[in-house]
Amino acid sequence: MAEEIVFEKIKGIHKVPREEFYSSGHRTCEGCESAMVMRMFSKASGPRTIALGTTGCMYVANTAYMTTPWVIPWMHTQLGAGGSAALGTSAGLRALMKKGKIPEEKINTIAFCGDLGGADMGLSAISSALQTDYDLLIILYDNESAANTDIQATGMTTWGAQTTFTPTGKVKRIMQTRWKKNVAGMLAAGHPNVKYIATAIASFPPIDLLNKVRKALSAGGPAFIHTLDPCPKGWDYHPRYSDKLGELAARSGIFPLYEIDHGTAKLTYNPPKPRVPVKEYLEKQGRFAHLKDEDFQYIQQRVDSMWEDWEIPGIIPVRNGTIRSEK
Amino acid sequence: MTVVEGKLVESQKEELLTGCEAVAHAVMLADVDVISAYPIRPYTEVMDAVSKLIADGKFFAEYIIADGEHSQFEIVKHASAVGARVFVGSSGTGWMYAMEAIAVTASDRLPVVALVGNRALDDPGAFGVEHNDALTVRDLGWLLVWASTAQESLDTTLIAYRVAEDPKVMFPTALAMDGGFLTHSQHMVRIPSQSLVRKFLPAYNLGDRRLHPDNPISIAPQVNEDWVMEIRMQNAEATKRVPAVIDKAYREFEDVFGRELGNPWLEEYMMEDAELAIVGMGTLAMPAKAAVKRLRSRGTKVGLVRPKWFRPFPTELMQKVLSRVSAIGVVDRDFSYGSPYYGGVLFNEIRSTLYSSKNHPTIANFIAGLGGREISIADMIKMIQLTYEAEEEGKDGQVKWMGVRE
Amino acid sequence: MGKISTLLDEVAEADIKNVEVNYRGIFQKTLARKICKTLVYAAKEEERTGFSYGRYSDAPERNGVPCKYFAVVAEMSEEDLEAEAGAKIEPNDVNVSIVVDDTMVKGVEPWGFSGIRPINEKVKLGGTLLVVSERSPLELLKNVAKKDFPYKIAVVPGKHSFSGLWVYKDDFTDARVLGALARIEPDIVGLEALRKVVPEKLGAEKIDALNDGYKSVIIKSIAPGEGIDWPYSIPTLPKWHEFKEGIVVKSVARGGRNEDYKRFTTRTMRPVIRFDTCIKCDLCWYACPDECFDPTPDGLFDVNYNYCVGCGRCAEVCPVPNTIVMVDELKFENNDSPYHEYKKDKEAYIEWADQKMGEKRVNYPFVTGTGLIEENVKKNDGEKG
Repeated sequence: MAEEIVFEKIKGIHKVPREEFYSSGHRTCEGCESAMVMRMFSKASGPRTIALGTTGCMYVANTAYMTTPWVIPWMHTQLGAGGSAALGTSAGLRALMKKGKIPEEKINTIAFCGDLGGADMGLSAISSALQTDYDLLIILYDNESAANTDIQATGMTTWGAQTTFTPTGKVKRIMQTRWKKNVAGMLAAGHPNVKYIATAIASFPPIDLLNKVRKALSAGGPAFIHTLDPCPKGWDYHPRYSDKLGELAARSGIFPLYEIDHGTAKLTYNPPKPRVPVKEYLEKQGRFAHLKDEDFQYIQQRVDSMWEDWEIPGIIPVRNGTIRSEK
Repeated sequence: MTVVEGKLVESQKEELLTGCEAVAHAVMLADVDVISAYPIRPYTEVMDAVSKLIADGKFFAEYIIADGEHSQFEIVKHASAVGARVFVGSSGTGWMYAMEAIAVTASDRLPVVALVGNRALDDPGAFGVEHNDALTVRDLGWLLVWASTAQESLDTTLIAYRVAEDPKVMFPTALAMDGGFLTHSQHMVRIPSQSLVRKFLPAYNLGDRRLHPDNPISIAPQVNEDWVMEIRMQNAEATKRVPAVIDKAYREFEDVFGRELGNPWLEEYMMEDAELAIVGMGTLAMPAKAAVKRLRSRGTKVGLVRPKWFRPFPTELMQKVLSRVSAIGVVDRDFSYGSPYYGGVLFNEIRSTLYSSKNHPTIANFIAGLGGREISIADMIKMIQLTYEAEEEGKDGQVKWMGVRE
Repeated sequence: MGKISTLLDEVAEADIKNVEVNYRGIFQKTLARKICKTLVYAAKEEERTGFSYGRYSDAPERNGVPCKYFAVVAEMSEEDLEAEAGAKIEPNDVNVSIVVDDTMVKGVEPWGFSGIRPINEKVKLGGTLLVVSERSPLELLKNVAKKDFPYKIAVVPGKHSFSGLWVYKDDFTDARVLGALARIEPDIVGLEALRKVVPEKLGAEKIDALNDGYKSVIIKSIAPGEGIDWPYSIPTLPKWHEFKEGIVVKSVARGGRNEDYKRFTTRTMRPVIRFDTCIKCDLCWYACPDECFDPTPDGLFDVNYNYCVGCGRCAEVCPVPNTIVMVDELKFENNDSPYHEYKKDKEAYIEWADQKMGEKRVNYPFVTGTGLIEENVKKNDGEKG
């Protein structure tokens, strides 16, 4: 008999489900924050869940044949297929339930993809999945690089960061000249069918991600969560500071935390003013060791603009009918 | 279409259907659960027909219009993994766009059934038939079969589900149909009844490979060099189990539906005492048959061999049939630039097949009908004549492009 | 065919020298590569040939996970050397196995289903296990598997040199290790050649370190049978027909863990817990990305040291000073449950934990291997043995 799913809000760390559905024995880095995303979403969703993992760090790290750390059913999917894997799984289950071939029950379908797979290659498939009425959740776990191939820049890498595709050199100090995409905002603005969209950081504020996953799963349709995952390997910091880096990302305002629940947008964390200077977040990462003051100032100014000039700070870059990308 | 004496004869419902519509009817009869569509000519017509059947309530399936072919194939792969029977398809560059998903579907051993409406690959954009798109799956673990009539398209679709989903097989199956000539041409097709189809086609059951919370498994974890050889070997050995399943499926099809399908692997036309065989797949069998018939009426001992299943390849049967003749003309509706002899794909497969036969017939190769160009009866007669000449002159392995403006 | 099959057993007569560097993924990747590359350049200086390569299966490297890098040198043509030793995943055996973080002497498990392997697994007869360590060869031997032939354990005194992907900790460990190697196996690389190559490839300022490594290395002969009985079994890989078709693996049972990949050889430090000062805030349990903390009936959390990778997140989030402290892994002999020890005899456990921890909680620079937040870096007593 299937267990009933109760998606009640978790109030306090003591109330977090103790059971692990993503268990010990995965080849992630010491201090890996994306592993925390895996752990937290599966805790929130519980045993009646099917997880789909696109190619990426959380594929290669998490499963080494013939072993697995997954307690819930899990299947690999291709790099750009997070959206379509969720769609196919959810559609398959719904068809079988409608035809009476399997018992009718709520089974959570959660696909997770990295920034390379989700925000670059797989954006179209995610967009497509969010246009449907299927019950599914897509989690974009964003460690700001193709971490699985030893740290290459993606469309989500912070401006100025060193990666193996964007090294610093004698002539060019900065090779990553792209500004990070606002994926959650973009998806929210363009997908009227989507029931729930949020951004989150697995460890800050504590429990936030768990509750956002629960809201997403009970939203009654397609949902999307974008998590920012400090990556000790690619960002180059001591693994013990993953929590601290996540907190600084939120407090500095470089990664706004919000949710859009059935169309209603709300900041879920308002960084106390004055916001922590972004430099305090950036300088703790070796990937920014080559930046100069002018670079930090440039990033600061764009973050400030996001908070001060946007109609809905941090979410949608519109003010008085103008789409603002930068001051 | 022969009615087998003394056996159950199916209800005689006949409709004028295109090849694509015939496949759509088979999809309906197979009670497919999940279908994923994306438009590209010429296969699109099957999805046009499927969507209308669903809209009219003829059957129910989750029908998903995907954002591209890659997603299309990923969607059905994952639906298949949770235990749903699925249908998908594409053509030409669309098929190529889906290639990553197509490759993993076979590695995951999921019995997806796909229609490939054969189409020339870009660039330049062209709609007409060419077999290169379908042939790209020949090394991946896909079963690959060519139909040449609308009736055969319907029948083979049902057989494809039966074979693909057999627990001894569990490989995806592609049904190839010549774009335009078969996909879009209307013929009278006998549509079997739902109850007979149910009798022929058991429910899809993935067993303990089904992804579901009641059966917690991890599918396709990352491997290193310690595992890949063994996993490939499993798949290679599994393909050897397929022929017996195909043979049995055809026999039972005949039993259940009361229609003879002939040899599952290849059609032999006027091959009894043939000295020369012309070999080709798909609709080019049509002008080939006419050519053979005309030459036979003048006493020329020529016949046609039309391979149906290209994967698995019927090596021994092909050897047996073709080593009886002294000359073979292989007509490829594909190209393989820079290949051995600069010949076509089918040509080199057949040459390889005959290497160990005692009798080494002269083999000539013709690249013909690319990009949807018509292959006429006269072209066929010409190819047969050129094959004779090659034999007389002792010129084996000649490749000639037919119908090119020179 | 008879003649050909006897050839299969024939060992190449050519005298090929293999060196491996066991290193911690990412933290020491640049270090390992620098050692091997400089070695090959030095061989060329001596008019020998060589090449170097990483173990491809280690990629993508994960912070802390044991990895390997190799250098091969010989007196033969490049073509012959590559024919004999090229296109390999790793050498069959090595003349010298360098270990740049001494906690790896407890065994290395690079990926799932490989088993925990002895650090001296590849060391051949008469070869050397060369460890960067502040411990003596005999102290290290307490963790090392016995071999049935004589070999050597050498120590180049020093602390592991950890850095990150972008900021290299240039503490001259590279030159010191090469100096030690020249002393141990002058046939692989001579000091003179290194003196020529090191200034160009690693920096002129490193000559003293090179000489120091040469002088300070301690070498100890190890007799057959010396060392420990290896407690871990190496799994047998199943034949192709012995596992399921369709690339399917059974999930972990509820409440269980991945039994075929215990992760502790990734660890250089382990969290030691003072259960008596714990305020049961659950933060350590919550912050662990490796699901190592097991709730106990009395609201405390046991640690499963078989799976702990020693990241230190628990110690960082713990709000009570000195309740969770990261301690050098070589101070411990087993992965037994600390909670059980605590329940058995609380006072004895507290005393034991305090003795292991040292006096102060440790602060680290954020960027690995740098002193970026210098004012926060205190002299640590807990870390060192």
